[in-house]
Amino acid sequence: MDKFILRKAEPKDVSDILRLIKELAKFEEMEEQVVLTEKELLEDGFGDHPFYHCVVAEVPKDKQSLEGYTVVGFAMYYFTYDPWIGKLLYLEDFYVMKEFRGYGMGSEILKMLSETAVKTRCSGMHFIVAEWNTTSIEFYKRRGASDLSHEEGWRLYEIDKCNLLKMSSK
Amino acid sequence: MKFTICPAKPEDCKDIERMIMELAVYEKMPDQVKISHKELERDGFGPNPFYQCVVAEVPEEHMSKDGHTKVGYALFFYTYSTWKGRTVFMEDLYVMPEYRGKGIGKALMATVAKVAKEQHCVRLQFSVLDWNKPSLDFYLAKGAEDLTAKEGWHFLRFHGIALDNLAQEAP
Repeated sequence: MDKFILRKAEPKDVSDILRLIKELAKFEEMEEQVVLTEKELLEDGFGDHPFYHCVVAEVPKDKQSLEGYTVVGFAMYYFTYDPWIGKLLYLEDFYVMKEFRGYGMGSEILKMLSETAVKTRCSGMHFIVAEWNTTSIEFYKRRGASDLSHEEGWRLYEIDKCNLLKMSSK
Repeated sequence: MKFTICPAKPEDCKDIERMIMELAVYEKMPDQVKISHKELERDGFGPNPFYQCVVAEVPEEHMSKDGHTKVGYALFFYTYSTWKGRTVFMEDLYVMPEYRGKGIGKALMATVAKVAKEQHCVRLQFSVLDWNKPSLDFYLAKGAEDLTAKEGWHFLRFHGIALDNLAQEAP
C-alpha cells in the first residue's frame, strides 16, 4: 500500500472521525467513556472557535477497508501553552486502523505534525500514553520521545463536571 | 485580608513572569524557564491568545515585603477530549507563600471553574508532581482524581533536537 494521502479534515469527515475515535477508545479499553457526538465534533472543530485541528489519512476507493471506509487514520491536535517554554502542539488522538498498519501511515502523520509544530514556533509536542500501551510507547521512544511522568514525576489529575460546578458556585 | 481576582492585562506580564519563576523554583526546575514577559505578552494578548490568565491582587496596604500587590495567578487554556469534548487545562496555579491560607488559591481555582462552566467544558485537568503533597492535598479536597494512578496515563513529549529530527524527515 503505497498510495495514501494525508489532508486537513473537513466537516464531511466528522462521521469517520467519530468512528475512528471509538475504535481507538475500544483499543484503550474505555469505549463506554466516549460520549461525544458528531454534532459536537462539527461545532467544536469547524465553528467560530475551533477547539481542535485534525488531519486524516485517506486511501483510494480500490483500497477501501473491509467495511468500505476510505478514511483509515487520523490525528487530532491543538495548541497549548507552557509558561516555561511557550507554545506547544498537543497531540490528543493518533490512530491508524489495524488493517492499514505497517505501511508507514503513522510515521507520516507524526512527521507532518512535527513539521507543523516547528513551523508554528512550538517548543515541543506533548501527549499522554497509557503505561500498559508498550507498543505505542516504543513507537514514540524510537523517535526520541521522553516520558515526563517517569523522568520528572508529573501525574495527570482531573476534576469532573459535578465538582467543577460545586467549586464555581462557592 | 481583602483581595480581588481579575483577568490579567498585558501590563501584568512582568508580575506573572516573576511568579512563574517562583513556582518553577518551588518545583525544583528553575533552569527550565526559557520565556520572559515579552513572550507572555505576545502569546496571551495578541489576536490569537494561546492562554488565559487570572491574577489575584491585594490592596497597597497589604503589599509584599518586596512591594508587590499581584500575589497569585492561574494560567489555563482550552483542550479537547475526543471522548467528552471541551476541557479546561489549568497549567499553573500559584499563590506567594506569605499570602497562603487566606482563600486566594481557592478563589483563583473557583474563577477558572466558573470560566469552564460558562464555556460548557465538561472537566478541568491539570498535572501535579508526585512529591508535591501540599498541592495534592489541596486538589484532592476539591474532588480531584489521579488519572495517572487510576488509568495509567503518562505524559510524553518530543522537544528540542528530537522534534527537529522528526520534522526534518517530513515529506
